[in-house]
Amino acid sequence: MSATALKFRQASAGSAAFIAYSALIYLFLYLPIVVIVLFAFDAKPVPGLPLAGFTTGWFAQASADPVLVGALLTSTKLAFFSAALATALAMPAAMVLAWFPTRFKSLILCLVLGPVVLPQLVLGLGFVSLLRGAPNLVGEPAIVLAHTTMTASYATMVLYSRLLGFRRSYIEAAMNLGANELTVFREVILPLTLPALIAVFLLAFTDAFGEFIVAWFVAGFTKTLPIVIWTSLRQVISPKVNAISTIIILASLALSVLAQLWVIRQARPSARVGA
Amino acid sequence: MTKRAGDIELVKVSKRYSGAAAVDDVSIAIEAGEFVTVLGPSGCGKSTLLRMVSGFVEPDEGDVRIGGASVTGLPPYRRDTAMVFQDYALFPHRTVAQNIAFGLRMRRMEKSQIARKVDAMLELLNLAGFGNRRIGEISGGQAQRVALGRALVVEPAVLLLDEPLGALDLKLRKQMQAELKGIHRKLKLTFIAVTHDQEEALNLSDRIAVMNAGRIEQFADPETIYNRPASRFVADFVGEANLFDATVIGPGMAQLVGDGSTVALSGDGLPPPGSRLTLAVRPEAIAVAATGKGVAAIIEDILFSGSVRRIVGRLANGQRVTAMQPAAAFTPALGQSAVFAWTAEAAWIIRP
Amino acid sequence: MERISGGSPTILPSQRRRRRFALAGLAPLVLWQLVFFVVPLLILLVISFWTMRNYRLEPGFSLENYRAVFADPALWRSLVLSLETAFFVTLACALLGYPVAYFIAKKAGRFRIVLLIAVIAPFWISIVMRISAWRILLGENGVINQALISLGLTSEPLGGLLYSPVSTAIGLVYAYLPLYVLPLYAAIDRIQDSWIDAAKDLNAGPVRAFLEVTLPLSLPGLVVGAVFCFIFGLGEFVTPALLGGGKQLLIAQIIQDEFQRRQDWPGGAAIAMVLLAIVFTLLLLSMRYLRIASGERP
Repeated sequence: MSATALKFRQASAGSAAFIAYSALIYLFLYLPIVVIVLFAFDAKPVPGLPLAGFTTGWFAQASADPVLVGALLTSTKLAFFSAALATALAMPAAMVLAWFPTRFKSLILCLVLGPVVLPQLVLGLGFVSLLRGAPNLVGEPAIVLAHTTMTASYATMVLYSRLLGFRRSYIEAAMNLGANELTVFREVILPLTLPALIAVFLLAFTDAFGEFIVAWFVAGFTKTLPIVIWTSLRQVISPKVNAISTIIILASLALSVLAQLWVIRQARPSARVGA
Repeated sequence: MTKRAGDIELVKVSKRYSGAAAVDDVSIAIEAGEFVTVLGPSGCGKSTLLRMVSGFVEPDEGDVRIGGASVTGLPPYRRDTAMVFQDYALFPHRTVAQNIAFGLRMRRMEKSQIARKVDAMLELLNLAGFGNRRIGEISGGQAQRVALGRALVVEPAVLLLDEPLGALDLKLRKQMQAELKGIHRKLKLTFIAVTHDQEEALNLSDRIAVMNAGRIEQFADPETIYNRPASRFVADFVGEANLFDATVIGPGMAQLVGDGSTVALSGDGLPPPGSRLTLAVRPEAIAVAATGKGVAAIIEDILFSGSVRRIVGRLANGQRVTAMQPAAAFTPALGQSAVFAWTAEAAWIIRP
Repeated sequence: MERISGGSPTILPSQRRRRRFALAGLAPLVLWQLVFFVVPLLILLVISFWTMRNYRLEPGFSLENYRAVFADPALWRSLVLSLETAFFVTLACALLGYPVAYFIAKKAGRFRIVLLIAVIAPFWISIVMRISAWRILLGENGVINQALISLGLTSEPLGGLLYSPVSTAIGLVYAYLPLYVLPLYAAIDRIQDSWIDAAKDLNAGPVRAFLEVTLPLSLPGLVVGAVFCFIFGLGEFVTPALLGGGKQLLIAQIIQDEFQRRQDWPGGAAIAMVLLAIVFTLLLLSMRYLRIASGERP
């Protein structure tokens, strides 16, 4: 056998090993998700093997459960507010950080990044302590405040890094042709960054929807979906919960995949002129 | 702004970044309708100068005047300038026609009038039929013209061009130089271009401002810049020049420092004997011979490039001298001694 | 591009306008983060010096809570166990994640983006749901045991799978592996193939090329991932609460317990501050390292 052929064999063997190994990791990552979806459709009242038979009954039961449905609605509502607030806070700040010479820039970046890198537990405790002075906020307002703080943090970072790659000359060209700051934003910045903004909103929404740790501390009697699931886990896991989890998981996967596709597509340099 | 005079004046402008001066106490007056090129190596401050006129950079000191009125402190959208950006900055979410129409829309012009003006501009730039193309669907040369059209259509008092042809390949660049020159002749606007390409500057401009380290070294028409450089930097940067340090030893005579060869000088008002000066001699003005009057050098390198031959020698003082000879002329052999000679008129004197 | 003052006595209208824009853009976020992030942490810090008397918070300045963190053997054991667990989880994530990140960055070709997104996507699903799935998988009558029995590999269900430090570790690795792959991918992606080829061209074997070029150049990604993984592994109580069984509590569970069940806020706050100190130290060290690695002078 020639040396090249041997090398090629080694290379393809190496690639095969890589593929096999990566497949195992992906299996590891998706196995629990598959399990939840699987048992949401299984007739057995206590999840376990062997499977008893296909049913969609748990979905019907879940949709008839006022606690589950109420929690789903609450979570959706609160996550929407948090995501909207976070995006609204993040965009102007990211523009300034990316495009204006700013004093204390690294300090501000640390402040912005803080809630992402510190343990969520500590964040939750901090909120509990803060709420001691404002007990009226416990519950839904507190959850929105907390989730906005957390999601605004990486919303700013994502937008900031995206805007760093934004061609400044687009803005300058528009200004040069007579557009003032607001017009530049409406005519140039917004249309060109809209996908990134939507992506950031979706990520923030998904994250706020599923966030449990901080919400658990500040929720009071408010029941978000993760809190209801957590509480139900104290007992035997009902397939009803699997059914609603299935819906949420599929929605979360869809939203986050969509959002990330947008973020990554935006990351590529925009169509180069005359390439 | 009733009078749309396109004359520009920079008065003692300076701009420092982190302590280092990008533009250092520059004063320059450009007449309306002139095509001026600011020429210099990268980092010399020429782009900062251009951005001061457009309003993207404010000077730390000094004043910028357009049409006699100070515009310092005015935002870019209040200045009667339009810029062609180095990367063109054509909006990718708009078509060719929409890009050209942008400035007119900002001026709240009527729709039908905008359409008419855009069509006329597409016509002028040989882009008729391309109006509905997306920016990603046109070639580099077309993009260059769209950028030009987008700036010209608003009829600015001053057109600013930031390395306008830098992104084009050589052949296209030549063609666009001619087009640009033609458009300038037709519209009679003030054009200020910034470039590091000396050939482009020499071809395009009425006057060239050569910039180095934040200062303007010389501001003159292309012939003067090329034939009578005001400083060593200009002589070296524009075209190619052999620079010799010399001492005046008598009327019309000088001696090369560290070499001992004497050379003839021409012109009136030469400095008195004993004073130092620098001679700039273009390679094409130097003739190489086996013997005779001139400066002796050892031949180090001979490069053949079609019609001419480049001969590099080393003087006794270690300095290199380059001559450009017709390929048919005498060719010495490597390592041999030869004589490099030029006329007194070919040696331009730069006073320190 | 800091403007050096001194040379410009006058502020131009256009500059004043820019400053106003900058201020208006930054102020909302900065104020928000001050009120809802910095102030809460400061309050927590203050509370950690207070005391509890008759189930009421009593302001004061007492170091008793901090003494307790290090003097109480149970607390101390939890802290050490938490650090060990976080360390093990980080190590496991690095070892499991590196080949995948390498595969995505260098071998996946046009599937790169799809595979990258597929790694990260599970991270966006609520941790409560993801971890609850592992109970179905690891339980005594769970999927894994049933599968093992039906395959004839074991006759009795393995009892130790769920509610053990091992199951906690599995859950944490599962939860934070995506978080580790992301920075690793970013670091490996930046390594140009030609550098690796150059090493091989200079007669380095694949292993040598990896050790001399790929590994050192991906080290920043390894560090960033490790810091995140460690911090998250240290400060989480969902996974140990759902999978750990409660025989050996991790420090995060104890903090949660102090606050929610025992209502001893000062005690909990003090432990949280110790945790925070560890996290800060790690962050500072890693930032210092990254700054040196990126060529900046420390």
